[in-house]
Amino acid sequence: MNILSFYRSPIFLRIVFVLSIAIIFFIAAVTYKQINALTNSSNQVLNTYNVAVELEKMYTYINDLETAKRDYIASNDQTIKFAIKIHQKEIEKALLKVEKITKGNKTQREYLKILRSLIKHKYYIVNSILAKDYSNGILGSTELNNDFLSGKKVMYDIRKVINKMITIEESLLNKRNSIYKDNQKTTPLYIYLTLLITLVLLVLSYVKMSKDLNNIKSYNNELLVSNESSNLSEIVGNYGTWQLNLDTNKYTFSDNEYRLLGYEPKAFKANLDDFMKHIHPDDYEMVKEVTLKMIYQEVLPSFTYRIYKTNGELRHFRASGRVVTKSEERILIGTTTDVTEVIIANQEIEERNRILESNNKELQAFNYVASHDLQEPLRKIETFISRLIDKDLDNLSESGQQYLSRINAAAGRMRILIDDLLQFSRTTRAEQVFMKTDLNELLENAKQEQAQLIEEKKAIINNETLPELEVVPFQIQQLFSNLINNSIKYSKENIPPVINISITEVDTESDEKINSITNTKFYKIIFSDNGIGFEQEYADKIFTLFTRLHNKDEYAGTGIGLAICKKIIENHKGYIFANSEIDRGSTFTIYLPKEI
Amino acid sequence: MQKEYIHIVLADDDEDDRLFFTDAFSELKMSTKVQTYNDGVALMDYLNQEDAILPNVLFLDLNMPRKSGIECLQEIKSNSKFDNIAIAIYSTSSSEEHIEETFVLGANIYIKKPNDFNALKKVLSDVITINWQYHTSGLNKENFLLRM
Repeated sequence: MNILSFYRSPIFLRIVFVLSIAIIFFIAAVTYKQINALTNSSNQVLNTYNVAVELEKMYTYINDLETAKRDYIASNDQTIKFAIKIHQKEIEKALLKVEKITKGNKTQREYLKILRSLIKHKYYIVNSILAKDYSNGILGSTELNNDFLSGKKVMYDIRKVINKMITIEESLLNKRNSIYKDNQKTTPLYIYLTLLITLVLLVLSYVKMSKDLNNIKSYNNELLVSNESSNLSEIVGNYGTWQLNLDTNKYTFSDNEYRLLGYEPKAFKANLDDFMKHIHPDDYEMVKEVTLKMIYQEVLPSFTYRIYKTNGELRHFRASGRVVTKSEERILIGTTTDVTEVIIANQEIEERNRILESNNKELQAFNYVASHDLQEPLRKIETFISRLIDKDLDNLSESGQQYLSRINAAAGRMRILIDDLLQFSRTTRAEQVFMKTDLNELLENAKQEQAQLIEEKKAIINNETLPELEVVPFQIQQLFSNLINNSIKYSKENIPPVINISITEVDTESDEKINSITNTKFYKIIFSDNGIGFEQEYADKIFTLFTRLHNKDEYAGTGIGLAICKKIIENHKGYIFANSEIDRGSTFTIYLPKEI
Repeated sequence: MQKEYIHIVLADDDEDDRLFFTDAFSELKMSTKVQTYNDGVALMDYLNQEDAILPNVLFLDLNMPRKSGIECLQEIKSNSKFDNIAIAIYSTSSSEEHIEETFVLGANIYIKKPNDFNALKKVLSDVITINWQYHTSGLNKENFLLRM
């Protein structure tokens, strides 16, 4: 494991803690041992002195015994015997004491044994003296002198042994002192070092802990902020969230969940029953069933149900939920969204759709009326006129003949109107199939359609090569046909009409006239002619149904042709504009998107 | 019995159209016998008589009360007794739906009623003089609609 990550892990703190405790125990143990050693040392010193003192004491008593012996020899006083007994007892006492103090030392005990046997010998000498009677005073005799000096050698030996014992004690003391001194020197160093390490560890842990604390604080802040933002988004989005801990069966509602039902946040302790009592009775069983399914199926599509708020208002809720497993706990998380507005809007749209559909049906019915019922009487009128002209024209007066030809013209005009109207309504119908088509072909077909007129007026049509495009073929052909027809119809008298058709590719950025969101690349097709033109102020009006700029006696027409053009262009998501000036010809500009 | 004339039947609810129709044939001076009926029910009643003389060519208007031309067409085509009758649809409408439907149901030709009497005479004479044998065997949508 990397050192840095080890430092960051919570184990580090635990290890530092355990280590610190161990060090404190270690220091305590060392100190205890040190104090023990100190006490021990001073005890030893005391002991050594005691031994010396007791030995000296004992020597004094032995000396006293010797003196008493001499006194006895000199005075032959029987009471001295008693004093000697006391001295002996004191010597024994001192001996016992020394024995006791030097218990642990083998060499000292050896010496003590020697000492004891010397003292015994001393006793023997004294006792042999005491048994004699010096009352007749043989002072100055050799025997007396021998008795007098008899203890001297023993005394000398005793002194020697005692001195040896004292020397041993002293050397022992010296040795102990030096060990003690060594201990005194090194121990504080160890303690100091361990304390230093402990300090370093503690500082490290402090740094880490404060860092962790800061992290926790910032996480806490982030959590607070995100909590607040989710609260806000719940209010804005009109939704609430809830949780069910499947192990403890405890519910938690977000603040907005309460608001959705019309309560203040945390108005009651979150639980299922208080929520379910708001649900519309007809939806109750369904909600219960789906909630149960959520627990076992884990992921479920959202569903919609109705509730009554606390104020009795009916709202539509959409809910969804799923089970998540987090640290061995299974929690069902769910959201509740108030979709009342959406549902109402949907209902409105459906209603409008219904109206549109019925309108559409009416339009279709009108279409049928126009195509069939209106045509029928007209056809009969025309047939009767044709019969009248064939059979009875000669029987009519001149004015009668004129009226009849007027009636015939009017009927013909009505036929054209009906046909054009039918065509217009057909371009609105849904039967449009887009297919990739060569526009050149469509243009040729359109020229064929208008061939008679072109020939009659000796019109010239120049065109650039057009592309292939995804279009409704018959409509685009109609568009070309209508534009050609329009240009020739409004041509100048006695000047052969010339129509130029050009094409360029443009995009929305380079051409300010088009402003499309879905398409950016367009074909721009321009039809320009040398006709009579019109005033620019009518440029938009000419595309509306039944708009004519000229009297029908001057120029025939129904005012439907350009309206059909506009409709076709709109079907193709394109644009059509007109530009003109009186006597300077007209220009029709078409924009067709490259991709539908 | 050897027939010397072509037997023609028209079912159309419109009185004017029936008049144009009979006038056109009388002016054509062909040896034809023309019978007209006011609607689909009257037509089928006639055709279903046991001793009825079945027409060579039957003209059917589509939009008729009580029984429409489409219904008559279906009935006729489902009865093998009428297999030899050539059926011409004779209608004001020239809508694609009607043309498609009657073609599928087995009509032989579709005529849009012209708005000129001379044109009517021409189209009727064309229909009568068609080599029906050829027209029925080569069922073809291209020549189904008789254009003027």
